[in-house]
Amino acid sequence: MSQLHRAQKGSRHLLMGNEAIVRGALEAGVNVAAGYPGTPSSEIIETLAELATELNLYVEWSVNEKVALEVAAAASFAGLNALAVMKQPGLNVAADFLMQLSATGTRGPMVLIAADDPGALSSVNEGESRPYAKLMEIPLLEPGDFQEAMDMTRWAFELSGAIGNVVLLRTVTRLSHASGNVVFHELPERESVAQFQYAAGGGPLLSLPVKARHEQQQEKLRQAVALFEDSPFNTYSGPDNPEALIITSSICTLYSREAVEILGLTERVGILKLGTTWPLPNKLVERHLARADKILIVEEVRPFLEDEIKALAAESAARIGIKSFYGKRQGLMSSVGEMNPDKVVQALSHVLGLPLPNTESPYEKRVTEIAIEGAPNREGTFCAGCPHRASFWSINTALSMDNRGGFVCGDIGCYSLAATPAGFTTIKTLHSMGSGTGIASGFGKLGQFGMDQPAIAVCGDSTFFHSVLPPLINAIHNQSNLILVVLDNDGTAMTGFQPHPGSPVNAMGGGVVKVDIPAICRALGAEVVLGDPFDVEGTRRTFLKMLERTGVQVLVLRQPCALSPEKKGKKAYDMAVDEQACLGASCGCNRLCTRVFSCPGLVWDEKANHSRIDEVMCTGCGVCASICPVGAIGMKEFA
Amino acid sequence: MLQKGLCVDCGACVGICPYFKSHAGKIAMLFSCNLPQGRCHAHCPKVELDLERITQATFGKPYDGSPLGHYSEIKKARAGARLQGRGRFQNGGSVTALIAFALKSETIAAAALTGSLGLTPVPVLATSEAEVIACAGTKYMAAPSVASVNDYLRSGIGNLGVVGTPCQIAAVAQARLNPLNKPGFRDVVALTIGLFCTWAVDTRSFGALVGDKTDACAVTAMDVPPPPASVMEITTTSASYAIPLDEIRKTIPGGCAICPDMTAELADVSVGAMEGEPTWNTLIIRSARGAALVEQAVRGGYLELADLPLASQENLARGAAGKKKRALLKAREDRLLNVDPASGRSAMLIDDSVVQRILAG
Repeated sequence: MSQLHRAQKGSRHLLMGNEAIVRGALEAGVNVAAGYPGTPSSEIIETLAELATELNLYVEWSVNEKVALEVAAAASFAGLNALAVMKQPGLNVAADFLMQLSATGTRGPMVLIAADDPGALSSVNEGESRPYAKLMEIPLLEPGDFQEAMDMTRWAFELSGAIGNVVLLRTVTRLSHASGNVVFHELPERESVAQFQYAAGGGPLLSLPVKARHEQQQEKLRQAVALFEDSPFNTYSGPDNPEALIITSSICTLYSREAVEILGLTERVGILKLGTTWPLPNKLVERHLARADKILIVEEVRPFLEDEIKALAAESAARIGIKSFYGKRQGLMSSVGEMNPDKVVQALSHVLGLPLPNTESPYEKRVTEIAIEGAPNREGTFCAGCPHRASFWSINTALSMDNRGGFVCGDIGCYSLAATPAGFTTIKTLHSMGSGTGIASGFGKLGQFGMDQPAIAVCGDSTFFHSVLPPLINAIHNQSNLILVVLDNDGTAMTGFQPHPGSPVNAMGGGVVKVDIPAICRALGAEVVLGDPFDVEGTRRTFLKMLERTGVQVLVLRQPCALSPEKKGKKAYDMAVDEQACLGASCGCNRLCTRVFSCPGLVWDEKANHSRIDEVMCTGCGVCASICPVGAIGMKEFA
Repeated sequence: MLQKGLCVDCGACVGICPYFKSHAGKIAMLFSCNLPQGRCHAHCPKVELDLERITQATFGKPYDGSPLGHYSEIKKARAGARLQGRGRFQNGGSVTALIAFALKSETIAAAALTGSLGLTPVPVLATSEAEVIACAGTKYMAAPSVASVNDYLRSGIGNLGVVGTPCQIAAVAQARLNPLNKPGFRDVVALTIGLFCTWAVDTRSFGALVGDKTDACAVTAMDVPPPPASVMEITTTSASYAIPLDEIRKTIPGGCAICPDMTAELADVSVGAMEGEPTWNTLIIRSARGAALVEQAVRGGYLELADLPLASQENLARGAAGKKKRALLKAREDRLLNVDPASGRSAMLIDDSVVQRILAG
């Protein structure tokens, strides 16, 4: 990481998109950064945190995205350069404050980075950040490559400082997590003093009087548009009068260029790449629309850019004529999933009436055939030794035994996988952070309508702090009936073990106050039980007893993640399958261990007709020993 | 069977494989098992119970649909002098007496019985007289007692005595046939004592019903007095309560409604209450080993026998015939009797001529 703050102007580096963003923030002189972990955004705060001490930055993992935005805003209010970082669903969490913030405006430059995940590669939705710019009336920037990720981040601070409002910069998974070459600019001299000027020189930050503030806010947007008209982030490449014009932004710029090259259309098709996507620089766009009659909009997920451009084209029709638009509205391109060069090739071929090129080589064809014939079906699953598998085994079997149709309202984390066979499809609802508990709180009040199914909520330790507390308080206050299972694996495991309020250290490695989950729950008035998920029998018994009771109960199942630094490479038990005891196919268990429990540390040896331990995968947690009905799996404690 | 709501929580499928567990009076299938056949189905008294086959295998005689099944003698009985006053018996204490004697005489090494944990009935594997006496008293609730038979079968130790309701005795009778030809199987059941049963109740619903009246854990005895009383009497450490039978009936599992067996026709000996004489039992001696045990128990002072008046026998047969008829009508209505295998699975298989005879009776 040292190259990010030590390498000098003009040097060239291969950087991940998120690292390029960090360098851009450093070049802009960022002082304070706050965020909540979420793929694909997490590396930005992580990288800044590593540099914090040396560069005198303050970097924190906040309890949730709204608080992160508030923490960053405070720095801006005190005149510092502030950065808030989150994945798209986090922007939904932060939206309430963002609406007010955009009305009061900022003092020091402030940038909000939202990382979208088109195709939901690591998300439970493919929500969009772009419409937020329009909703909140703040400028939107979208880098199209790695150099722009850096340059545009730096400029976003400049823009924010110029207009006095927060600027939204949107990245996507394929930019944040891919790598490309970046040439560095200068780093600033760092001397910053924080002071909140609420009297002279600024006044209090209020959105009142609303109409006046709103007018000011819109004036800031007009200033931004004026800058956008001449922005170097909006570029055109292609002939002066192309047969078709592609208008695109973000990482789709690269896909569009590739498609034009594949089809050999560089002399026939032009590409207008927009980096400042809201509000649109009207004059610039109108100028380029005038070049062609056929306009193809290439963007991911919803037709945001398409709608904006069409509205602009309607206003400009008298000057530039009627255009034919191609994109998502008429179904040429899909409004779901990621974009890729092949999709652009197909769309462009349609627009120009060209035959589809045969892009499938014999090699690719054969690879596809072999994959279909020979590759085993691999479903997503929990890691070997994951405490969640054991927890859901106990919860699932207890709910089945209870026999009242009890179910689990899931939440966001690795444990969301329990909606699939990996967690025995135990989770029956899955929405946003904290929603499992809120939904269970609602289910728990439906007894008066004859509902007797037990409602269970699960959440991770980080999610507990993020957004489970309000619904838990709601359930207690309203005397709902629910069991909340906190799957405490000692960190924000899914996104890379970032600390949270239950951790003794902060993002920068400093000692902080560790907030105690069971103590909070007890203080709120919930019945709290502690358990070890690896004791599956004990956990099931405990859970069955809890199911017999009413009110709000919390079961904290604590066991560090199998991949946690404290566990990695250390086995508690040496596991072995007794080949004589394992009855194989003749056991009535029908391969319970490898067919249902399915820990990757256990494999079914087809030839030998018994299960065996995969020494490499097994983490020695010992749970499978209690799953085998004939006790064929043995565990020996390491001396 | 589970989906059709026919499960009576007898426990026949519990302990055979890890997929079935009993909790609070219900059997749960924890995960789906895709084996084409299993002992869970083969032993289940509500899945294709072939009464002709099982009766032939048990007694070497056909299933003729007679109200009380095959028997050699019907007597009235009660615990003998050796056991008098030593337990809280439901009626005469004959079951406790017979099992206690069977253990004492080493006819059996252990007995699969039903005990209680609070109000909830639980399987008990008893090896001492004190454990047997502790299990005395009717539970009325469905109990997975056959689970401990499965455990014992796996242990390979011989000479197990089993006390159970008709469905439980039917399950044990099927298990003893080793229907799936499991290698190394050994029939370890040395004695079966059947309990008369008109219905059982679901543990959770019944517990809730009792819980509305009193602390379920304080219940010391339950009884259904003969008509015209139409209540269940619940006795606790401090008071007694009456729950109308109409309310109780709402908690009866669906599987009981298609049960044609009131007197545990596949047992060696069957025992039930005796109308009009609450300190005696009705005793039906069915097999030779049942007859031998009864005779020895009397000689050993564990059991006292007397003749059962003919009128009582006739009343019993009338009640049993009524249950048979109601069960077959219900099973036929629900398409659970002699179903064409192409269109579904039966709960019971009974020769059509026998069905006609029962329905005409």
